Amino acid sequence: MLMASDGLATTSAGFLLPSIIMLPVGAMLLAFLLGGRRTVLTALIVTAVGIALAAAIAFVVWQEDRALVYVVGGWAPPLGVAFRADGFSAIMLVATALIVSATGWFALDSFGATKGAPETRPTFAFWTLLLSVWAALNGVFLGWDLFNLYVALEMLTFAAVPLVCLDGRTATLTAALRYLLFALLGSALYLLGATLLYGAYGALDIGLLSARVRPEPAAWVALAAMTAGLLAKTALFPLHLWLPPAHAGAPPPASAMLSALVVKASFFLVLRLWLNLAPSQMGEGIAQILAAMGAGAIIVGSVLALRQARLKLLIAYSTVAQLGYLFLVFPLAAGAHAWAGSAWVGGALQAVSHAFAKAAMFLSAGLITKALGHDRIAEFRGLGRIAAPAVVAFGLGGVSLMGLPPSGGFTAKWLLLTAAIESGQWAWALVMAVGGLFAAGYVYRVIAPALAPAQTPSPAPPTPVSSRGTALALALALFAVMLGFAPPELFGFLKVGAPLARHGSVE
Amino acid sequence: MNGSLFPPLATFGHGPQTIAIALATPLVFLLACASPRLRALRPGILALAPVPALAAAVLAADSGPLVLDQMLFPAVFVLDPPGALLLGVSALLWAAAGAYAIAFMRDETENAWFVACWLLTLLGNVGVFMAADVASFYLAFALVSLPAYGLIVERQREADEVGRLYISVALLGEAFLIIAFAALALGAPDHSLLISDGVGALAASPWRDATIGLLIAGFGAKIGVIPFHVWMPSSYRAASIPAAAVLSGAAVNAGIIGLIRFLPWDGAIAGWGNALVALGMFGAFYGVAIGLTQRNAKTILAYSSISQMGLVAATLGAGLLAGTAVAASGAALYAAHHGLAKGGLFLSIGVVMTRGSGRSAWPIPFVLLLALSLAGLPPTGGALAKLAIKEPLGDGVLGALSTLSAIATTLLMLHFLLRLRETRAACSEKYAREKFATGLIVPWLVVTAASVAVPAAYFWETAPDASALFDYRQFVEFLWPVIIGALLALISLRRIGRAPQAPEGDIAAFLPRAAKRIGAIGSYIEWTESVTRNWPVAAATLLAIATTLAGIGLLDR
Repeated sequence: MLMASDGLATTSAGFLLPSIIMLPVGAMLLAFLLGGRRTVLTALIVTAVGIALAAAIAFVVWQEDRALVYVVGGWAPPLGVAFRADGFSAIMLVATALIVSATGWFALDSFGATKGAPETRPTFAFWTLLLSVWAALNGVFLGWDLFNLYVALEMLTFAAVPLVCLDGRTATLTAALRYLLFALLGSALYLLGATLLYGAYGALDIGLLSARVRPEPAAWVALAAMTAGLLAKTALFPLHLWLPPAHAGAPPPASAMLSALVVKASFFLVLRLWLNLAPSQMGEGIAQILAAMGAGAIIVGSVLALRQARLKLLIAYSTVAQLGYLFLVFPLAAGAHAWAGSAWVGGALQAVSHAFAKAAMFLSAGLITKALGHDRIAEFRGLGRIAAPAVVAFGLGGVSLMGLPPSGGFTAKWLLLTAAIESGQWAWALVMAVGGLFAAGYVYRVIAPALAPAQTPSPAPPTPVSSRGTALALALALFAVMLGFAPPELFGFLKVGAPLARHGSVE
Repeated sequence: MNGSLFPPLATFGHGPQTIAIALATPLVFLLACASPRLRALRPGILALAPVPALAAAVLAADSGPLVLDQMLFPAVFVLDPPGALLLGVSALLWAAAGAYAIAFMRDETENAWFVACWLLTLLGNVGVFMAADVASFYLAFALVSLPAYGLIVERQREADEVGRLYISVALLGEAFLIIAFAALALGAPDHSLLISDGVGALAASPWRDATIGLLIAGFGAKIGVIPFHVWMPSSYRAASIPAAAVLSGAAVNAGIIGLIRFLPWDGAIAGWGNALVALGMFGAFYGVAIGLTQRNAKTILAYSSISQMGLVAATLGAGLLAGTAVAASGAALYAAHHGLAKGGLFLSIGVVMTRGSGRSAWPIPFVLLLALSLAGLPPTGGALAKLAIKEPLGDGVLGALSTLSAIATTLLMLHFLLRLRETRAACSEKYAREKFATGLIVPWLVVTAASVAVPAAYFWETAPDASALFDYRQFVEFLWPVIIGALLALISLRRIGRAPQAPEGDIAAFLPRAAKRIGAIGSYIEWTESVTRNWPVAAATLLAIATTLAGIGLLDR
């Protein structure tokens, strides 16, 4: 097992890890040199290469059945810095590459530079921000050093915030500012905690820290500060004030990335903190609080989603709710129990399937808004005749959110549900079932009028939507659904290098 | 009971392939329906899609499972005798209703959304009778329940409330079932997802009573067990005639097969057994009582379904009490006959409408046959269905109640016929010039014939002693309740016709007010959320969370 970091050394094919981080960084730097249309082309080519790299990492992790490690310059921690990819990291890398690529192609319609036309600021900004968000996400999923992770988190925040206000309207600027300020509060807390840990234990490497951290005041204060900071960045209820306006105000491809991926990064680090870094006895009390907040997010986020008048806000609140499910993992995956493995895999699948489903839903919301000229749900009657594929993509994404089979969302929620029942934590099982009902409710709010015949002829003829955009939204939604047909090996893959063995082996 | 609808052909060794084709056909047609080039083929699709399922029911019963194990959740499909029986009658009804729809509603059958909802519901309906593992069953059950929304709201411009009620109850059922299925799988050895493994271990499961309760609620929502019946009257009324036929005759049996497959028949479980008997018998009479006050022919049929499904639920409850599987096979035959008869009755509404008062009245005797078949009139299939549930219900109170319910059903069915006559008078003008009569009559007659033939064939194959079919005492026993019911109808139907009308869906009338109450909670939550979105509150919360997290650890020491 890899937990004793003393022997941390680069594994075979470890060079893939820095490559997938440097690839978008390099492309971004190149973009500043090339500019204009070539930026777009570079970004699209690079995302394709990125998918291949992510797939290669996942393949090696699966083949070798252990976490992939790269030690920078051969200097093992604490002197040097390590990157590490376990099964969960690898699948997040793949999902990120696919979704970033899909949103990039989707954005060609709104941010594609046309030949001969002068380069616009938002266009150039979008593509460089897309690349930096992607680089930062890869950094978070691979980072194994608390300071490195801090850098990745900051880069993520500073790339994600401008994506919100690309159109420069007052409302989106306000939303972006809100996001920035709250995220910076989170960063400050994270940095405070990381510094405290370094002061107390003289290490930043997660592996080293996991061997050194004891349940004592310094560790408690440090972990609490870091966790609170990360929760603020994840927008876990009741710290979600910035999410709905930011995610609903951003341009659709940006919303897709923000809602599908960016908020997952800080959740991922909370998992790292409490399952990889902290000793298991520390996590148990905290787990119930995190889960309670998650349950609150599911209920409140869903109820608010049910009451929104605009489609993009509905989807944004649905993100608030779906993030809640992720935090139910903590009380279920902790401890040496038979159900911990299912809960871990369920949490990972929830993160991945929600990413695809939510990206699909935001992209279809973009298509619907384009077709109708607005996203007011009350005026959706007859939408099914105007933009049928977009409605289907939204609905398929919704199937995954509701947890209906055969989607990835079903698999995820089934695993979490069985873990909750088996561990006797019925309250969480009940919350999940109720959350599924609510999700069905808010998806229904969109689908039902869309299926109905138009009441009056629409005032303006619908704008035709791009068939490429439609195909991309459908493809992402189908991906979320097809996750349910994944081969059984996926269970084992997601457990590779997972912090389960520390608590007792599963299966 | 070890036979099938027909004995498996000795040479037929392609069970899994047949099952696969039965499942794949609606799916392939669904994909074809997305292509504009295949638009012209759409109507024919409706009638053809269920045909492989019908073939599977006849050929593939007991001939090996279809196993797809290269997935996270391995899927297993198999056809056992009750599944084959219910699949056969459902597929037949789907095919007939599909053909009927082509003639009756040309415009809708050209509409891709309608066809997609039809095919998805059909796919779920076919799958639910064959699914042998929990995940596939849940998928099939969701498919037979949720896309049916499109069939219910499609015809009506103002069907919003009807559809909302339908989908709410369907989703509530799904929520009950997912928890029940999870608990079931957890109790099974190695967390096996096979239904039979889960049910086998249910008696010893620590969550036995919760699981059975959730199963009864979840499947009860589908078959309209009181108080989950609220959606049925308005949904069947709002749906077009062919859609109402498949929903009432085929889709509803998804709930019956669910109860048959998931309840433990060797447990002698008193608590839930008694509850199911009581709820079922109450529904059997409640459905008739409210149905008698209704004016709309389709609504009356819906209340008859509530009543008939109540009887089936009571039978299953009696089986649960006694710990015997005889109740399950009896309930399957009863539900199969009910499906054909009820589907046929819905289809007859359109047939009668197109045969206006000026034309011949030859369909009326056939409608009467279907209607009284539900009451168990010998020698129709209904008498055999009653015979099948006679043993599990026993000779005591339940037997007497069953006989009483036959009287009540006769009354309700004659009430339906009277209302149908009025419908015919009202509609004859509108449909007089329509030319689609043949397209309606042939599918309807096929279903009517099947309602007589299928129970007879099934009994012939499976009954230990087929001489019961020709026992005159049996004949008399089932005949007299129908005669009493008919006499009662003669005396009272005129008066009943003037009785005040109960609201459609009866207690559903209270739901809007309840919904408003719940909505008030929603606005309270919305207010709370708006508070948490204030900057000072959010910043304070952030600090409070950090402090709490640290405090827990510090105090814990």
